[in-house]
Amino acid sequence: MINLKDVSYVRLGSPDLESAETFATSCLGLQVAERGKKALYLRSDDRSHTLCYTEGDPKDQAVGFEVEDEDCLQQAAATLEHLGHRVQAGSTDDAARRKVRSFIGFDDPSGNHIELVVRPERSGRRYFASRDAGITGFSHIGLNSTDPARDERFWTQVCNARVSDRIGDIPLMRVNAIHHTIALVRAPHAGIQHVNHQVQTNDDVLRSFYFLSERRVPIVFGPGRHPTSGARFLYFKGPDGMVFEYSVGVDEIEDEATHRPRQFGFEPTSFCMWGSKPAGMALPSDQ
Amino acid sequence: MKQDSHPLVVSVCYVRLSASELHASARFAADIFGLQRVAEKNGEIAFRSDNRFRTLSFSDGLSQSSSIGIEVWDEQALDQVEKRLSRNGFAVSRATAHDCQLRYVQAALLASDGSGNSIDLVARPTQSGRRYFPSRDAGITQLHGVGMRSTDLDKDLQFWKELGAEVSDWVGDIAYLRIDGLHHRIALYPAKQRGLLYAAFEVETLDNIMQNSYFMQERQIKIVQGPGREPCSKQIFLHVEGPDGIIFSYVNGMSEMGPARRPARQFPLVPESLCEWGSESKDVPELSAGVD
Repeated sequence: MINLKDVSYVRLGSPDLESAETFATSCLGLQVAERGKKALYLRSDDRSHTLCYTEGDPKDQAVGFEVEDEDCLQQAAATLEHLGHRVQAGSTDDAARRKVRSFIGFDDPSGNHIELVVRPERSGRRYFASRDAGITGFSHIGLNSTDPARDERFWTQVCNARVSDRIGDIPLMRVNAIHHTIALVRAPHAGIQHVNHQVQTNDDVLRSFYFLSERRVPIVFGPGRHPTSGARFLYFKGPDGMVFEYSVGVDEIEDEATHRPRQFGFEPTSFCMWGSKPAGMALPSDQ
Repeated sequence: MKQDSHPLVVSVCYVRLSASELHASARFAADIFGLQRVAEKNGEIAFRSDNRFRTLSFSDGLSQSSSIGIEVWDEQALDQVEKRLSRNGFAVSRATAHDCQLRYVQAALLASDGSGNSIDLVARPTQSGRRYFPSRDAGITQLHGVGMRSTDLDKDLQFWKELGAEVSDWVGDIAYLRIDGLHHRIALYPAKQRGLLYAAFEVETLDNIMQNSYFMQERQIKIVQGPGREPCSKQIFLHVEGPDGIIFSYVNGMSEMGPARRPARQFPLVPESLCEWGSESKDVPELSAGVD
């Protein structure tokens, strides 16, 4: 079994790194860690980077997950190859570009590009935000799935993810105590559906709602509250149509041994208990 | 045995409003805002928000005037209040038995503040034996306080100080007045005309504030301001436009003052002094902090 410790980073292609940086600093509120020729590294917490924009096609996306050590990485590669996934070993240069010791890359069954990494870098200096959005760190991703039941089996049987709750047949999956690190979303093609950053308080969610509205950033869902994780949330659109989420108050699963996934109906109140409706954002369809 | 000293006034205990369209107002209070309709008597429709017999009532516009009910400690406190107010030149008169009946209280003093707002100082307002059971799940737990329009701030402040109220904070000349352990129950807003600005009802949680916000949006009920948060009191609010331009507010999370006294703090009259999240009021001058 592939033991994922946590989600480490997201890599997003963008044809316009300058606009991406403007959005990331003046709207989203991340800290620029490093500007490369063809890459922009952004911080959201103690880690050296958690989001990297690379010059290129917005369809070029990757999600990095941390595994324990080199041995685990090699075992994971063997497991994946055995199952018929094409596994690429990362070169030393590519590892340096990801600020990790070593990594492998492969596609999940829907075709999402996943990277498993060893020893992602932390930063000695604390995170210092570009605007007071209250961000405490990169926390989870929404991942498109062309077949949620099949992909749930991949993440829970090949990897160590556990289902915390389901909305219809959409699983919210955890790899540690946090309610979910991967949320699958039914979609016709692969892709990252949203990138979540945690913020400190309710106040931050509502402040950002007014702040971003004033700057005409499209608010696509919220302010709202997920009845599943208990988190208060705000979803909004960034460069190349990528959806970002702020949330606060995600539950932790206290008793790993006895937790049973709850089943929520596939209806609007399962996504927001306050009554907000998604606008301009594809909510997972149940078909 | 030595008796503890007690305050003169205890709570904001009701809001009586004259309505231009009685039944439309009643529908708003019950079906939209979410209070419990309890009685219709003498051309007046009453509503509950908590264990009290009623905290809001609408009367036919022509027959009666609006007033705010302030509960005093007891009948002796009522005498004391009467002396203090009349000594300082405020108009006060004893309520008749009929007046008291209309107000569901045992004794009352009908007063006017410096702006001419009718303030009823009442003893022994009626409680209800049955628990509060509202018409919809808006999460309301009590009538929390009121915002008053003031045309003569100095005189109004003197009026409330005679009752034992103290200023907790200032935003420009907006005064937040404390009568118990909470930051404020009464707020005075400098205005061109007197009258009630808002009646604030407390809800259980932030969830209720947000749910009510989407409830109003869906029904195209005008939200005057919010969801927002007052930086002075830390109170979360949603100001909804009610009948005859009166604002009905849902509030939650007001800070307590604690035993240590501190001087009133001065905040500038700018929008972020009235909402730290960034919500603004476009059409109500008292809430827009001088921004047109």
